[in-house]
Amino acid sequence: MRGLGWRTYLPRLLRFWRRSLQFRTVAITVILSSVAVGLIGAYMSISISDNLLTSRSEQVNAEAARANLIAQQLFDDAPATDETNPVELATLGVSVQNAIASSTTTPGGTGIALKRTPGQQTQQVLQPTSSRNFPDEVVTVEMREQLAGSPGEVLLQSVMLPDGEPGLVAGSQLSVPNAGVYELYLVYDLSDAQLTLGFVQQTLLLGGLALIALIGAVTYVVVRLVVGPVRLAAETSQKLAAGQLEVRIPEKGEDVIATLARSFNGMADSLQHQITRLAELSRVQQRFVSDVSHELRTPLTTIRLAGDMLYDQRESFPPATERTAELLHTQVQRFEVLLADLLEISRYDAGAVDLDLEPTNLVRLVNDAVDSIGALADERGSDLRLVAPGGYFEAEVEARRIRRILRNLLGNAVEHGEGRPIVVTIDSNATAIGIAVRDYGIGMAPADVEKVFDRFWRADPSRQRTIGGTGLGLAISLEDATLHEGWLEVWSDPGRGTCFRLTLPRERGVPISSSPVGLPPDEPVDGIEDAHA
Amino acid sequence: MVAMTAARILVVDDDTALAEMIGIVLRTEGFEPVFCADGAQAFAVFQASKPDLVLLDLMLPGKVGIEVCAEIRAESGVPVIMLTAKSDTSDVVRGLESGADDYVVKPFNPKELVARIRTRLRPTQTTTTGTLQVGDIEVDVAGHEVRRGDARINLTPLEFELLLALALKPQQVFTREMLLEQVWGYHYKADTRLVNVHVQRLRAKVEEDPDNPRIVMTVRGVGYRAGSS
Repeated sequence: MRGLGWRTYLPRLLRFWRRSLQFRTVAITVILSSVAVGLIGAYMSISISDNLLTSRSEQVNAEAARANLIAQQLFDDAPATDETNPVELATLGVSVQNAIASSTTTPGGTGIALKRTPGQQTQQVLQPTSSRNFPDEVVTVEMREQLAGSPGEVLLQSVMLPDGEPGLVAGSQLSVPNAGVYELYLVYDLSDAQLTLGFVQQTLLLGGLALIALIGAVTYVVVRLVVGPVRLAAETSQKLAAGQLEVRIPEKGEDVIATLARSFNGMADSLQHQITRLAELSRVQQRFVSDVSHELRTPLTTIRLAGDMLYDQRESFPPATERTAELLHTQVQRFEVLLADLLEISRYDAGAVDLDLEPTNLVRLVNDAVDSIGALADERGSDLRLVAPGGYFEAEVEARRIRRILRNLLGNAVEHGEGRPIVVTIDSNATAIGIAVRDYGIGMAPADVEKVFDRFWRADPSRQRTIGGTGLGLAISLEDATLHEGWLEVWSDPGRGTCFRLTLPRERGVPISSSPVGLPPDEPVDGIEDAHA
Repeated sequence: MVAMTAARILVVDDDTALAEMIGIVLRTEGFEPVFCADGAQAFAVFQASKPDLVLLDLMLPGKVGIEVCAEIRAESGVPVIMLTAKSDTSDVVRGLESGADDYVVKPFNPKELVARIRTRLRPTQTTTTGTLQVGDIEVDVAGHEVRRGDARINLTPLEFELLLALALKPQQVFTREMLLEQVWGYHYKADTRLVNVHVQRLRAKVEEDPDNPRIVMTVRGVGYRAGSS
């Protein structure tokens, strides 16, 4: 569990580290100041504890020396008889103990012990005494040996008292008349010093943490002050890039941030001006195209009516006039298609196109389109085949536009198919429906393929055109496909033919992951060989 | 009926060349054209000439075609066909909503225009006579009258035909395409907005609550059918 949490949190933290300048700055500041505060705190703690212990041991040392003096004096003052009664001697020991106890002023209480230095033969023996609860085990053999080697000195040794508190043992030698050399041990409990030290350390720790937190907070505020305007500038430029040309940064003060804001706003002003000017130009131009197309329609209607009247009566005319009427009729029709295409393109350019979606069975739609071009294909000797492994469901499309795309692609295929078969494939996958129109005609060079969707571009200007295309067909088809959030792509190879593939999303708003039909369709269709293979 | 004499057609168009050309086409087809080039005078000419059908240009000087159409509709159910240079959604829908029965987009050819005119002048022939019941209204087929109780409901010929088409086959659900063929005479894919707009106009007249229709019912995703009687 913990490992997993670590593994998920670490990358998130790293990402945050990379992305947030503010977080990074605050984190670095906090880490560095933690190190500094830690070092200072450690030094202070060590020096305070040193000081505290040194002063305690000096105090203990002085007290032990005084106790030794008192005890020695008591022993020396005792009546020096050879036959000192052991009982008296014992009483003397007790009185020494009491005298010392009453003389100690150090807090922490003392234990007192009087021990006979081993290895002596004397007339009398003073029984070793000790105060109650004297922790015998703190007086080590090593200390006693050391003490034996240094008469007249006070030896100090740090020990651990049985209850776990730190303590100090002070040892010194006494000589008792007639009874030889004795050792006086005083034990001091240092827990109060330890307590003071702990308190100091705790205060240092808390103070350090508070200081680090304070430094973090201050850094956060300072960084915010600096990063805030930068972030605002970044957000504003994002909005600007997204097309909100009117956004600006508030200009406050005279500092470097204000300079940034001023130059940014200047840039935005100039951008807005340029874009507005261009947009206006483009709008005027589109409007002009649209107006021209509309204005042309009324005279064209008159011409058309007149032409049709003449055309209907052409058989009563002399041959030359009859042909004239025919030419007039067909060219007026061509003009009309061109005008309609121009108008459609100007609508796309003006962005004034709405999709009128309805559930449509695309296989049926393709079938209808194939049927409607059938006569023309027959005339050219092209065999039209429909391969439909999938796509038998209703998709949300605008049938009129899809029909127009298909009519265009099929018309082109017949036009450039050189009488060879034309294969239309329709298939579907989870996200898309693909329709491919493949001809096995002359194909196009790679340079031409790039221009195939350009307006008024013609594959081969020298070629005789029989199907009156306007040169806008594929441009409109591409716009139609894009409007459906679909794709229109082309593959072509000179001598092997051309394939256009239309891919439409199954559901509006769900992006296409891949096209269900290969480009060109992968499975070879029986009976068709590559033209020049 | 107009079968014996030549049907009179009012052509309202400011483009004199086009108006004259339309006149030639109409005369060739045996109609009697009357012209008006100014939107402001169109209604006066309409009242004076009492045409059997109006061809109305949407873009007129003086007054826009849509206003003229609304004026005519306020007074009469005479068929109005709009001539429009714009097939853009909003213009066509506004024209239809102001009461036009049908529209032709410029440039049109003579056959198309004449076909539209003939469909509007020659109502569908029905063998049924007598009275049909749709919901709480009565449709008098021979008398071209629609009544709710004793109150007569004024319908234009087109609206009457639309209602009649639905009423004649109460069990049938009509798609918009079926209605376009039967009522408007389109044999190819045409603008389904024609149906939508006229169903709304019809409902505004025959329904007691147009938001909750009982005479012309919508069948979601398919089309319309007559309400049960």
